[in-house]
This record gives sequence, C-alpha cells and structure tokens, in this order.
Amino acid sequence: MAGIFDFGPAIVLLPFLSFLIAVGTALSGRDLLPKGGAIPGIAATAGSLVLSVAMAAAVAGGEVYDETIYTWAVGAVPGSDGLELTFGLLIDPLSSMMLVIVTLVALLVHVFSLGYMNDDGETGLPRYYAGLGLFTASMLGFVVADNLLMAFMFFELVGLCSYLLIGFHFREPGPPSAAKKAFLVTRFGDYFFLIGVVAVFATFGTAQFVGTEAAPGFPVLAEQALAGEFTANTFLGLGTEAWFTVVGLLVLGGVIGKSAQFPLHTWLPDAMEGPTPVSALIHAATMVAAGVYLVARMYGFYAVSPTALGVIALVGGFTALFAGTMGVVKRELKQVLAYSTISQYGYMMLALGAGGYVAATFHLLTHAFFKALLFLGAGSVILAMHHNENMWDMGGLKDKMPVTYYSFLAGSLALAGIFPFAGFWSKDEILFETLIHGLDGQPLLLVGYVFGLLAVPVTAFYTFRMVFLTFHGDARTEQAESPESVRWNVKGPLVVLGTLATVAGAVNLAPVRVLTGAHVDFLHAWLDGGFSDLTVHHYAEIDPYSSAYIGGELTTVLLGAAVSLGLALLGLGLAYRLYAVPEPVEHTDKLGSAKDLLYDNYYQDEYQVYLANRVVLPVARAADTFDQGVVDGAVNAVSSVSLFSGSRIRRIQTGVVSNYAALVTLGLTALLVVFGVLGGWLL
Amino acid sequence: MEPLLMQADQLPQWTALAPALALGLTGLLLILIDSVDPDSSRPALLAGIATVGSLASLGLAGWFLSAGTGQAGTGGGISLFGDALVVDGMALFFQALFASVTALVVVASYDYLHDHPHRAEFYSLVLFAATGMALMAAANSLAVAFIALELASLPSYALVAFLKRDAGSVEAGLKYFLIGALSSSVFAFGISLVYAATGSLLLPDVYAALSGGVEGLTGVAAVGILMVAGGFAFKTASVPFHFWAPEAYEGAPAPVSAFLSSASKAAGFALAFRVFVVGFPLDAGIDWVLLFQVLAVVTMTLGNFAAATQEEVKRMLAYSSIGHAGYALIGLAAFSGGAGGDVLGASMAHLLVYGFMNTGAFLFVALAEHWGVGRTFDDYAGLASRAPMASVAMSVFMFSLAGLPPFGGFFSKYFLFMGAIDAGFWWLAAVGAINSALSLFYYSRVVKALWLNDAVGEFELGSTPTALYAAIVFAAVATVLLLPGFAPVIETAQSVATTIVP
Repeated sequence: MAGIFDFGPAIVLLPFLSFLIAVGTALSGRDLLPKGGAIPGIAATAGSLVLSVAMAAAVAGGEVYDETIYTWAVGAVPGSDGLELTFGLLIDPLSSMMLVIVTLVALLVHVFSLGYMNDDGETGLPRYYAGLGLFTASMLGFVVADNLLMAFMFFELVGLCSYLLIGFHFREPGPPSAAKKAFLVTRFGDYFFLIGVVAVFATFGTAQFVGTEAAPGFPVLAEQALAGEFTANTFLGLGTEAWFTVVGLLVLGGVIGKSAQFPLHTWLPDAMEGPTPVSALIHAATMVAAGVYLVARMYGFYAVSPTALGVIALVGGFTALFAGTMGVVKRELKQVLAYSTISQYGYMMLALGAGGYVAATFHLLTHAFFKALLFLGAGSVILAMHHNENMWDMGGLKDKMPVTYYSFLAGSLALAGIFPFAGFWSKDEILFETLIHGLDGQPLLLVGYVFGLLAVPVTAFYTFRMVFLTFHGDARTEQAESPESVRWNVKGPLVVLGTLATVAGAVNLAPVRVLTGAHVDFLHAWLDGGFSDLTVHHYAEIDPYSSAYIGGELTTVLLGAAVSLGLALLGLGLAYRLYAVPEPVEHTDKLGSAKDLLYDNYYQDEYQVYLANRVVLPVARAADTFDQGVVDGAVNAVSSVSLFSGSRIRRIQTGVVSNYAALVTLGLTALLVVFGVLGGWLL
Repeated sequence: MEPLLMQADQLPQWTALAPALALGLTGLLLILIDSVDPDSSRPALLAGIATVGSLASLGLAGWFLSAGTGQAGTGGGISLFGDALVVDGMALFFQALFASVTALVVVASYDYLHDHPHRAEFYSLVLFAATGMALMAAANSLAVAFIALELASLPSYALVAFLKRDAGSVEAGLKYFLIGALSSSVFAFGISLVYAATGSLLLPDVYAALSGGVEGLTGVAAVGILMVAGGFAFKTASVPFHFWAPEAYEGAPAPVSAFLSSASKAAGFALAFRVFVVGFPLDAGIDWVLLFQVLAVVTMTLGNFAAATQEEVKRMLAYSSIGHAGYALIGLAAFSGGAGGDVLGASMAHLLVYGFMNTGAFLFVALAEHWGVGRTFDDYAGLASRAPMASVAMSVFMFSLAGLPPFGGFFSKYFLFMGAIDAGFWWLAAVGAINSALSLFYYSRVVKALWLNDAVGEFELGSTPTALYAAIVFAAVATVLLLPGFAPVIETAQSVATTIVP
C-alpha cells in the first residue's frame, strides 16, 4: 500500500536535488539559473515542507513508520546474528515535528537569502545555494535516520556543510579560519561519537533506534539488559550500567561539539563569520540543533543511565549561565545572538538531563522559531547598515525599519522569556521540570536549576541591551541615520517567524493545564504517541526521577513561573534603565577587569590554543619522531635487509647450469637429512 | 551405483575427459594441417584453430563444472581406465584454468610470432603441453602422473627454445631441459620407492597401504615421498628446484613465459594437491605438511627478495612467480586433514586469479618486446603516454599481484591467508603478508616507471597488435571482475577441494 510515508525519502532528496542543480550550475561556470540557483532551493524546501506537514498529519492520525531502505553492508560476527549496516527512515512524532521545523526554517532562510545575498550583489551564489541545499538535505537525513550509524553519517555531512558555508567568503581572512575552527572543534567531539557508535554496535549488535518486536533497537535492549532480560557485551571490565554510561558519554561528545556546549562551544561565536542566513540555519534548525535532537532521539538510552543524565543536566545548566554572561558585554549584534544560542541550547540540555523530554523538545521548537527570527532580523539590520555589525554604531532604527523592529522585538521577548511569548512557556517548563525532579532528592539537578534560574535575568538583560542599542535612542552613525531599505523577501520571513515566535508557546501550555485542568499541553500528547518505547510516559517510567513539590503542584507551578518571569523582568528593567536612553554609554565598563574576562570569553580560546600548542603539539612531535625513527626505521631496515639479501640471492643464480644441478641435489639432500632425522628413519 | 555423468548416462564415461581431449585433438589437427601445407601462409587460420580448440576445452570444462559432472551432487569423481584417471571437480577446475591461459597465450602469440615461420609447431606444442597439464589435473596414479608431467614438460622445453636463432632462448631451453631431466629422475626415483614400499601406484591404494603402516619400509616410503615432492617443486618452480625458472622465463618468448609461469605452475600444483592429499596420509613417516611449510616460507621469501633487486621487468616477474609459488604452497603447508579443504580451495582460487593476472603481466612484456622498447624498468619509463590502455592493464596486474583491492588478487590472497590462520598457522599468513608488503615495492616500480617517470628516449611503437592487446585487456578485465565475482570461484574451489580430502 502506497502511503504518504513512501514519499519520506523525497523530503531528503529534494534539497539534495537542488544541491546537485546548483553544483551543476556552478561547474558549468555560466549563469544558467535565475537568482543564482535560489529558485530550485526554494522549490525543493517548499516541497519538503509540504511533504513534512503531510507526514506530520499522518503521524497525528496515529501512524508511524520505521523501514530499512537499503542495507549496504552485512557482516558475520562470531557468536551473534551478524551485523547489518543500513539506511532507513524513522518517522514518529519527534522526527516529524523536527522535519517541519527544519524544512520551514530552511525555506524561510532560502527566501531571505534572495534579499540578503542576491540583492546585495554577492558572487558565487550557485556555490552558496549548493551549500544550503546540501546542508538542508543532510540535516533532514539526520532527522529521519532510523539508526545511530546513519545518524552519524549525516551528522558528519552537516558538519561538512557548516564548514563550507561558514567559510563562504573564503577570500577574506576571517571566514576560512572560523570554518576550520568549527570543523576541528566539532570533529573533536565527533571523534568520541564515532567511538560511541562502534561501542553501541559492539554492545548491542544493532544501532536501530526502534527496531522491531523481535529485534528491538538499542535503547530498548539497554533497558532489557538492566532488567536482566538481555545480555549486552560490556568492555573494560565495567558493569552493565557503568558501561552504558560510558557509551552514552562517548556519544555525548558529538552532542557537546555540535550543540556548542561547554567546553566545545568556542567554535560557534566565530562561526558568525558566515553569511547571516547561514547563521540562522545553523542556530535554529540544523547544525546546533542536531546535537540536542540526537539526545532526544535516543533518549531511552540515556534515561536508563542516571550518571549520564546528571552530566547532561550539569553541562547544560552551566553552559546556559556561562554563555549568557559572555553575551552581556559583546558589541556586535551577531555575537550576542551567538552566545544566546549556546545558552539556550544549554537550557535544552538541562531539560534533557533533568528528565524534561517534552520541555527540551518544546524549547527546541520555540527556539528554532525565535532564533531564526532574531538572526534574520539581525541580517536585515546588517543589510541596512551595510554590513556594520557593531551595535554601538546603530541606534534609532525603530522608526526606519518597523517590520524588522517589531518582529525582532517579538523574538527578543520570546528569548528573554517574557509572558506570553513562546520562549516563556518552554523555558518555564524546563525550569519547572528541573525543579520538581531536583526537589525529590537530586541535588545535582537543583544546582542545574540554580544555574538556569540565574541565566534568566542575564538573558533578558543582554537581549534587551541588544534591542535598545540597535533600535532605540538616537542614530549614532550616518548609516544608522539612513539605513538601506529591505525588500519583501526579507520582511516576509520575518513576519512569518515573528508570528510563530509570539504564538508557538500555545502548543504546550502546561501551566494552564495545571491551573484549569484543560488538556492544552498538546505537544505532550503529541510526543506521547507513536512507538510505545519512544513515548513520554515510557521515558518517565524508565528515567531515575520522580517529582516532589513545594506545597502542591499548583503552588510550585505558580511559584516557579513567578520567579522566572520576575527575574526576566528584572533583567529587562535593568537593560531599560541603562540603555533605553537617547545616548547610551558602555555601562559594562563599570565591570572593570571582569568585563575583559567576559569579553575574552573567560580565555576559553586561549586555554584551548595553549593546550594545542603546549600539550598536543609536543605529543604529536613525539609521535612523529617515533613514527619516523622506530616505525619507519623498522620498515627501512626490513627493506635494506631484503635488498641486501636479494642481491646475495642473485649471486647464487650464476647462470652455470652445473652449479644449479649441484645446488638442487644439495638442497634435496639437506631436506632428506633433516626430515630423515625428524621422521626417525635416518640415524 | 555407477557414477552419473550429467543427469543420466547420456554420454559415455570417457567423454568426461573431453576438455583434455579437445586440447590434444586440436594439437594433432594443427600438425596435420602443417604436414599437408608446410608453408602455411594463413597464420590467422592456425591461431584461430588453436584458439577455438582451447576455448572449446574451456567451454567443456565450464559446462561440466556447472552441470556437476564428477562432483558430489552426481555421484562423485568419475574413474577411468582402471582408476588411472579421475575426473572430478578439482580436475575440471584446473582444466578450465589451463584452457583459459592457453587461450590467452594463443591469441597473444598471433602478433608475437607475426614474422616467424614455424607457427603451426608453436601452437601444437602449446596445446600438447596443455593436454599434459589437463591430464596432470586428472591423474590418479603415480605412473600417469609421471607421464602427464613429461607430456607437459617436453613441449615446454621446445617452446622455451623456440626462438632458435636467439642465443638466450636456446640457452634457456637447454638449461630448463637439463634441470628438468634431473628433476624428472628424482621424481621417477621417488615413485619407484613409494611403489616399493606400498606395492601400488594408484593413489587411494598408496594411501591405504601407508595408513596401514609399512612394516620396516617407513624410511623407503618417506624418501620416496620427499623425492616426489621434489618433482613437484620443479614443476611449480619452488625452492630448491627453482633455478631454471628465472633463466627459462627470461630467455623464452614472453607468451611462453606467461604460459609456463601460469598454467604450467598451476598444473604442478594440481598434481601436487591430488598426490599428497589423496595419496599420502599425514603420518606416513614424514611430516610432509612441515616439509611444505619450509618450502613455502623459503620459496616466497627467496622469490620476493630476489625480485626486489632485479633490473629487468621480465626477470622480476620470473622471481615474483617463484614468490607466488610460495603463496600457493600454503594450500599444502596449512593442510590439516579433514578441514584442509578450505585452505586447499583458497590456494586453487589464488592460482586461478594468478592465471589471469600473471599471464596478463607477461603478455604486457610480450607487447613491449613486440615494440622493442627494451627490458629494464627504465626502458618502460613514460610508456603510459604512448600506450595508456595497456599501461592501465599492466597497473591492474601489478597491483593485483601485490594483493591490493579492488582487484582479484586481493581476495584470493585474503582467503589464502585466512585459510592458513583458520588452520592455526597464523605465522605462515604473517610471513605471507610481510612478503606481500615487500612485493608491493617492486610491483609499484613498474607502475611508477609507466606513469610517473619521463621517457628517456623516443618510442617507435609502430602498429598496435590487436590480438595481443585484446588478450591483455581481457586478462585485465578478468582480474578486475574476479573481485566482485570471487564468491562463486572460492565456493566452487573449496567445495571441490573438500571432496578430494579422504
């Protein structure tokens, strides 16, 4: 029966096709396509969006899909059924939601690029659209992957595309270096991920996320192994649970790299060197989202490992606060947004680590919209400002760019977590989940909660510092006096995303449900459908957490919401006092040396460079010496010995046939004597 | 129950020898034509007849193999002439191999001998030698083994010395003949000692007698077995009976070198596999597995070491062919009784792949000789710019001989070494792997000369010899296709090898 799911591969293949078209155009060297190749990209992502929505509708109707499409390697493994490496499609509530997010943001980014790249007279457009197409296709392939290895492969493709796009302006000094940094830092994390993939195969013999009743996926097998129903291979002499924690943390290495979590977050601010629409794509829907999505995808595996969950929560909470503080002092628009991204993904990790699967997914959804909005808004401002990104050169853009301003404001309110914008609901749910699970005797989560809570006013402060500096007050430069006007292709995406950033919170009004009892937590219900092993209530059963409240659920909800909203308003108010004036000054200078510390990102880059120069480089040199001296030396010795003996052997071959006859006879005699003695019939 | 040929007794039993008969009759036909018309001015007709004859033999062998003739499914091997000959899967496998190489050599010789007066003799000698090899593969008695070996050897001596106005060719032929005579005498003496100890020349009877224990004659039997092994070592160019090989291969016309180093060597192995596995039990007073281990290690090491220092491509190939004899000997050196069929089959499969890649490599040398570009590595420099197609083929042969993927030689070596490891002789595989790594050095020298080095002088290549080219390209295609198509080859080889293990 041909159903909508049979079109699943097309979601991935359409953007890939647009990539091929753009590459073909670029290779032909002629201007074959109007708009430098944007049209095929827009058409492809629009097609993917339509298909994704249709998938989501089918999933809403209760259908799910998990099929292997292509088995590309089968290996026999002694003592097991053998190993199959496959490509397959997994469409369930989580992936169909993510498909809609990715295709929607990708479509809007493509449209926006018309304004940002084409109208700005950039060269190399086919290369740009080829990159966008492949980027989108890779991410979609990653989202629909039904096993960890396929996910890894597309994960790597995503990384490659981000490298290509960040370094788009490769003739300038900054972008290639930023691209290399992004590539290397994420590769460092992916290295652990790769080991993790191999470890998953070695442990369970499968890397399927879901699998079948007879051959379940590895998250279910992990659960069964802990219940004693399945024997998993463990290594390093570790017990089952300890080994699962190790495997989980290995995979987490890739997540930390891609989702820019401490300490591998350093690539992301530099990645701002890429074109702004690319930043929007990276931050909202593709690259960075991939990490968090991966944890959500295999959440069943992490849920059975309390240690791994604890690490995720702590890393996430710490990153949320840590990155937020660095955002406070930045001068450039996109830099502020970059640190806010790191911080927001920290929240998602905190939620995942704290058992808030729905909360994390919810924040992934709302963040995708408001962060894409903010980046596209920033892009609009940057266009208007002729690529000057310094906020101190702006000011007063509010009246000159009303569409940009109001949509950017909506995004900022969402980011700051102000009621009733989307970010408020999702951030509040994260904090709420962390709190109630933490109160039930999980001090680690309480620490994470405090981090998260402290990050709230910081976020509100830097967000509105950015808004006020950019749009309010008096214009501080000539460019800000008379900004370039932007066209529909910039404003359109802003309006769409602005609307979503305002109302997307409505998909999961968990506090309202608690207050009124009405079932308005739609996302919760959505994620509770599909494969029974991948549902919210299943995760709640297997994770190590239970809930405790301060004076009842209702009180806790209200208290939590009030505190986080209050703190957000506090931060906003402070920003208003300091920066919503006609002539703002750099109040952050009052921080003194702390400002330098923050501005230099706590010297994170410096210590990483130090590690590379002082630790890795000497080790690499030593390894090189070993390789040149010992390994190559051994090889060279073998070769000179063999060449020497070869030349000796040549001398035996005298060319005199009677010598040969003698040697043959002698050889035979020697064999006769030796084997005669050995056989016992001689002597 | 009578063993069945095909589904029913549609054909008489003797027709199982059809692959060998096709070769022999073609040889006779060529002589007949030559005596009727001694100054035949129709070289294409002679080459055509020889090609058709060898292809017919190949077709028959392939047909029998696929129809299951003489294999377990249709009642096992077909014994003929009082058990002196047996046609089973292994015999047919090797007959197919010989016929393939013969076809390649015959086609290639058409151009190589373009101005030579005695073509009919050449083709008939090749086909008679091939007939002898086909009979070697089917020999089930030591007497037949000796006769078949001589039938294969005597035309070979003449073929090596075929360029009778070329001093090198004549000298090589004489040396080959002298060492051959010495080896044959060793072989015949060995057979007589085995007969003295066991009272039979039929391999199964010899096996039974030796298993039962030969009271007081153990030493006689053991000396006999060792001398028989010496006879095979000559045919397969294994140490210490290898001295003739570099000289003969270098002096002989290159197609003959190809023929000898591929088909003739494989024939030696076909006979050795059957005689030792079927005829001599593992505990016959001499540990012949250990003997072959020694021979394998020494042969592959000596062959590869010597090849590494050669200046001339043809001589390098000659030594490399000795090295490959060492690899193929693993089939016997890692033989372990009941489960030995797998490694034996791997060895057979390696010989098949080797048949294509090594023949192709020597035919490329024949092409170079045809063009007169010289013999050393340096003379080959820059040839790729003039003959890219043939150079690609030669590169394929070289990398395949070294055992690199994605060519047939990779899997055949892989299965051979894996077979050795499975049999518990990991060190044998290790020695083989080290030797393969070394061999990459001298094989890649050819590739480097062809593609990377600049030509020293101008080439006067003249016309393109179509038939020679076709043979080379066909061998290259076969070498490449034997990688994806290796599964049926190794399955056939291992299943037919398993059936001969007693």
